[in-house]
Amino acid sequence: MNCLDYRRALLAGEGESAEMKVHRLQCAACIEVWREHADFEAALRQGLEVPVPPGFEAAVASSLVQRRRRFLAAAAVSVLAIGVGTYAWLGREDPLALASIDFVMKEEAKSIMMGAMPRDDAAIVLADSLPLERIEGIGRIAHIRPCPFNGATAYHVVLAVPQGKVTLLVMPGFALKSGQHAAHEGLHAVVTPLVKGSVGVVGSDAGVVNSVAGALGA
Amino acid sequence: MRFEDLVRRHAADLYRYAFWLARDRQQAEDVVQEAMLRAWRGFPRLREGAAAKSWLFSIVRNEHYRMAGRSAPLADVIGLEEIAAPDERPALEMRDALMSLPASYAEPLALQVLGGFTCAEIAALLGTTEGAAMTRLTRARQALRRLVSAGNAAERRGGRS
Repeated sequence: MNCLDYRRALLAGEGESAEMKVHRLQCAACIEVWREHADFEAALRQGLEVPVPPGFEAAVASSLVQRRRRFLAAAAVSVLAIGVGTYAWLGREDPLALASIDFVMKEEAKSIMMGAMPRDDAAIVLADSLPLERIEGIGRIAHIRPCPFNGATAYHVVLAVPQGKVTLLVMPGFALKSGQHAAHEGLHAVVTPLVKGSVGVVGSDAGVVNSVAGALGA
Repeated sequence: MRFEDLVRRHAADLYRYAFWLARDRQQAEDVVQEAMLRAWRGFPRLREGAAAKSWLFSIVRNEHYRMAGRSAPLADVIGLEEIAAPDERPALEMRDALMSLPASYAEPLALQVLGGFTCAEIAALLGTTEGAAMTRLTRARQALRRLVSAGNAAERRGGRS
């Protein structure tokens, strides 16, 4: 190491290495540079150490506590809002959706007595409202039966989807402008408008019901 | 380590670093306050305790540049005469010189001297190479030496007249 290397290294401020120290101890000029540099560094540190406002650390800690409380309160309000929204959705009892649940709970057993429809017949009667191919695109049809529903004929479809079974109630005579929801006795129902009439989806899992209704909607 | 302990340990140096970025006391306080709230949110994801210091400095840096984009021009710049006793002459002259130094030089100096970071760590914080960080540190010291000696020379001339 020569004097130039030594002085360059000092200017970078990384401290004095063993190699630098060996050079300094053998070089009178660099001893003087080192002394002057030490004074410079002390002044530099003092210059950079601007006074911290009195009580700053406590103020940061106190502000942190207050803002954390506000942050957590805001987070809690968001969670509450989501919960209330979900509850409001789940708590809705739109009439056609509620009737669909009632059908599954009380009338399904009766409709079974009417027997299943041949697939070709079902394809014809549902062609204008909900083509069978569309239903079969999202699951396997276990059976289809016609059934009396609110004074008209609806078609009761048991559909097996990967997440389980849902009941569809295809109602060609019941037109809707917008969807309806209901939750009752552990069952969830969504009724979705079709090009002609509407379809109710009923099941025990709200997520599956929503997903099927979304896939079937017009 | 608890987050509160981490903050308490580094609060003063974080404030000073923020001050040399902003050159404004109020802005430095605001930057540190905001940065610590962000740090608290991210603290559970901090896996290496050893990296906590550079992590806090990097959050202060990001917060400064985020706030600088929306803040008003600097005001309330620190008054040297109100912070230094008369016998702190070298520090006062140095602080005066540091005030004139571009932020691109003052920042790596603050990280090195206040934060105790190596050139490699400074390079990582500034998003540059180690060589470039070393060059900036060297030029910063050279510039400071020039500024301090020019100030001294002017004072000597003033003293003679």
